[in-house]
Amino acid sequence: MPSASRKFKKILIANRGEIACRIIWTCKEMGIKTVAVHSDVDRDSLHVRFADEAACIGPAPSAQSYLNIPAVISTAEIFNVDAIHPGYGFLAESSYFAEICEACNIKFIGPPASVIRLMGDKIEARRAMKEAGLPIVPGSPDPITSEDEARKVAQEIGFPIIVKAAAGGGGRGMRIVRSEDELGPALEAASTEAAAAFKDGTVYIERYVENPRHIEIQVLADEHGDCIHLGERECSIQRRHQKLLEEAPSPVLSPELRKQMGDAAVSACKKLGYSSAGTFEFLLDTDNKFYFMEMNTRIQVEHPVTEMVTLADIVRNQIRIAEGEPLGYTQDDLMIVGHAIECRINAENPETFAPSPGLITAFNLPGGPGVRVDTYVYSGYRVPSFYDSMIAKVIVHARTRDLAIARMKRALEAFVVEGIKTTIPLHLKIMDDPKFRAGEISTSFMEYFLTQNGSRKNDVLATAR
Amino acid sequence: MSKPESEYKHSVEPASESDARDVATPQRRRRRQPHLETSVNMDELRELVSLIQENGFAEFELEREGFRIHVRRDFGGTDVNANSTEGRLAEIAPTPVVKADSGSKISTPDHPGARAQTAASEDQDLHMIPSPIVGTFYRSASPNSDPFVKIGSRVEPDSVVCIIEAMKLMNEIQAETSGEIVKIYVENGQPVEYGQPLFGIKR
Repeated sequence: MPSASRKFKKILIANRGEIACRIIWTCKEMGIKTVAVHSDVDRDSLHVRFADEAACIGPAPSAQSYLNIPAVISTAEIFNVDAIHPGYGFLAESSYFAEICEACNIKFIGPPASVIRLMGDKIEARRAMKEAGLPIVPGSPDPITSEDEARKVAQEIGFPIIVKAAAGGGGRGMRIVRSEDELGPALEAASTEAAAAFKDGTVYIERYVENPRHIEIQVLADEHGDCIHLGERECSIQRRHQKLLEEAPSPVLSPELRKQMGDAAVSACKKLGYSSAGTFEFLLDTDNKFYFMEMNTRIQVEHPVTEMVTLADIVRNQIRIAEGEPLGYTQDDLMIVGHAIECRINAENPETFAPSPGLITAFNLPGGPGVRVDTYVYSGYRVPSFYDSMIAKVIVHARTRDLAIARMKRALEAFVVEGIKTTIPLHLKIMDDPKFRAGEISTSFMEYFLTQNGSRKNDVLATAR
Repeated sequence: MSKPESEYKHSVEPASESDARDVATPQRRRRRQPHLETSVNMDELRELVSLIQENGFAEFELEREGFRIHVRRDFGGTDVNANSTEGRLAEIAPTPVVKADSGSKISTPDHPGARAQTAASEDQDLHMIPSPIVGTFYRSASPNSDPFVKIGSRVEPDSVVCIIEAMKLMNEIQAETSGEIVKIYVENGQPVEYGQPLFGIKR
């Protein structure tokens, strides 16, 4: 599309790493100029190199750079940008930041601030989604304030239960409780952890669904009330609630179940007045019953698997929607072609999961048919220790799941990273696991897998640390 | 608040291997390129640099047989990997740094804790006032008033030396040391980054 007709001429990317690069690629295709912001240790990062303009906005700690709202807005004003793309993490789900952007007359590429705020409070989100007609896991409707109250709720919904942080995410502030005498300490631990991580010790209780799958639905909604879903992603392969590997479609979703879950998400979106890209996370139990968990009001790390099987460019759609364009698709336009898998490559020891920052001395990217790599590192790059350990995502697309697994295997084998340790060997082992290959996975897969592979002890140590 | 982009953006080379090599093997390079003096004289060099400066280039490289010149204007404050052990140059220079392959100018690698001071090797005896925030640099309180400081001004720690505007807020920047202003690295109205050297002070 010629850039002359675009409403946005220049976008600031308030992020770093692979997602900043990912957004720049689409902006280039759309003829939109980009402004990168970076901390002083990120001067050599690829997003700085490939953006049209760049500014250092603070020192290495995120709070003083990537989370520094005045610095980001100041840069946006100096470079006279039309919009800010927040990526994921950092300011992506800050309703405060979205409001400031609006007040400064800079378009925030994401949903309205009010919806971000609502979805950011997990208790309020559950309530709103229940009202919007989504099935939710039985649990306490309100924050738990005392052990007595917790005991009462637990008896009503039945053990096992899970204690969760209201402000939570990423698995922090969570405890599974299987009996009444574990309840007190678990409440205490979850609340303390939540207070430390999110400055808010509020917790709530839900029934714990055993061996569920983590299935999420990608939605796209415009600012005129139109909304479609782009099918599901299977994200059950997680370690300590951090996703390691995602695929689309899920090996177990029937077209009927996909329609049921997708329609539920779309209907909730419309009721909420949602716009932009968003994700509904569901638990799917062994009886194929699904429960709403939370909504992510941003682009997600694993969005490429959906892009591969639907041919949609989700970032492009976010930008178009923020420009005020109508969606331009109907649900009938959705096609799911083949199978895609994404492996997150982290700068970590593949056995102990200890972070492994440092200088990359050799780097070879896999290629060939159906392979996509989203990354921001290169040979000679020093992975900083200040940020997320993910250095790359390998995404493959093939006609069937079996072919995709074979393709991922050969891609990982050709992916050379020297100088630091990465999770490539871990993913290679997962590709060979008979249960994974059979599609028999749940959120407890990694627990089983690490026990099988003798790393359980290390994992326990990591948990205890 | 518009500014030529090329001046504000940092030119970043991913590997910076050439720089590392310059530091590691200056002697060998000098031997291999014995004709530097005959290839270019200082007047030509000056003309080249001023041409580059006029056109607002961030980086310029010219290579001929037995001769390579690399000019870089970098307005940023600090070296990237303060902890890096491989020898990166501290490529921060308010005025163009000329790096000819003869190894005629090699500044020392950066080290933690001395970031601001490494702005330019010839200024190493100066105390640097870096910009504490990203914003727009102003030398005076209003367009019609006198600058807070000039070359030769005496400053005390609480002396206001400039204003950095960020989000419509005028942030007064104090010298935080006493001494004499001997260098002013940025122009009035110029956008500045975090850590970018603003003033050089002789204490």
